[in-house]
Amino acid sequence: MKQKINKNWLEWTVFGVSAALIALVLGFLIFESATIGDALPDIHVLTGTPEARTSYFAVPLEVTNKGDQTAEGVHIEVVLRSGGKEERADLEIAFLPRRGAREAWVTFKTDPRQGTLEARVLGYEKP
Amino acid sequence: MTSSVSSSLREYARGVAGGLMFSLPLLYTMEVWWAGFVAEPMRLVVYIATVFLLLLGYNHYAGLHHDHCWSEVMIDSVEEMGLGLLLAAAMLFLLGQIELDHNAYEIVGKITIEAMTIAIGISIGTSQLGGGEKETKAAAEASAQKEKTFTGQAVIAMCGAVLFAANVAPTEEIIMIATQSHIAKLVGIALLSVALTAMILYYIEFTGSRRLARRNGVLSVIVGTVISYAVALVVSALMLWFLGRFDEPSLLTVVSQVVVLGLAATLGASAGRLLLQ
Repeated sequence: MKQKINKNWLEWTVFGVSAALIALVLGFLIFESATIGDALPDIHVLTGTPEARTSYFAVPLEVTNKGDQTAEGVHIEVVLRSGGKEERADLEIAFLPRRGAREAWVTFKTDPRQGTLEARVLGYEKP
Repeated sequence: MTSSVSSSLREYARGVAGGLMFSLPLLYTMEVWWAGFVAEPMRLVVYIATVFLLLLGYNHYAGLHHDHCWSEVMIDSVEEMGLGLLLAAAMLFLLGQIELDHNAYEIVGKITIEAMTIAIGISIGTSQLGGGEKETKAAAEASAQKEKTFTGQAVIAMCGAVLFAANVAPTEEIIMIATQSHIAKLVGIALLSVALTAMILYYIEFTGSRRLARRNGVLSVIVGTVISYAVALVVSALMLWFLGRFDEPSLLTVVSQVVVLGLAATLGASAGRLLLQ
């Protein structure tokens, strides 16, 4: 037995929008799974221009994961060499998604504008 | 009969309330946000498909439109899933978990994983939190008839199990309990699960349990309990697999996790199922 479907315009609108959304999400996920590789996390740290704060200097960091796998507990260290002295700062990012990026800051007592900055990833784990 | 716009609006609002009610704990859990982008895209696709099947089943056996045909069940399920996606996006945005500078996969992953439980909540909310004024007696009886079938019970038990287990499945505590508990205690958890299931379904006279327990007898109690617990274990295993908890080399850890989560799932499969139908 074939029944006639009775829906008002609101119900048809909700249905249309829903169907489009689901198609979009599924399409995106399938596209991602087709294009995504298996590359291990590949983490790059980019240091920005240091800024003076009230009692310290802040260096903005842009941490990018160029790999196809998410990294957990990403530990980053930044070394400031200035006038023969070394100052270290470090931070940890809980999760860095595949092909994702996070903004972060490290702080120093010495003015980083007078020295050289070197950032590196100390370690991370598989989630 | 076409319902008026205001009444269907009220129905959607009821669904939204139900969706939030059942899934707010998940929206407030960071392990769930992380699971959204840690999971591979294909797993999310499988998850969407599974939830969609559950929605179809639930709407067919316990849904609001009792005089429905399959295309109507299909439309309802699509709507619930779509509303779930919209609601998840709005809530995650308000909670500060999606920002415009996040990459697309992270955003879509988080929304998808949250939206699926919201969709089940919407489905249950729409059919349970009201709608009494519209339901005719004949339709209610028709649906009660349908619910009594074995598949009907199994589908509703699955929905109940998913709804209850989803709240704890993504947390670290499951793996902590599973790896730190002595094996005897895990056996204890399993026995407690079975005992609770039998009690809820056949002994303590929960709302709606009378309908089930009509053919009393030791055999039917045993069969019913075993089936409920089995559904709970299957749901637990599926959820843990989806969350990547089976990428574990030790079989004992895998089984232990299923047992630990199984307690929550079996409460949903027994008590939840009685409340949901």
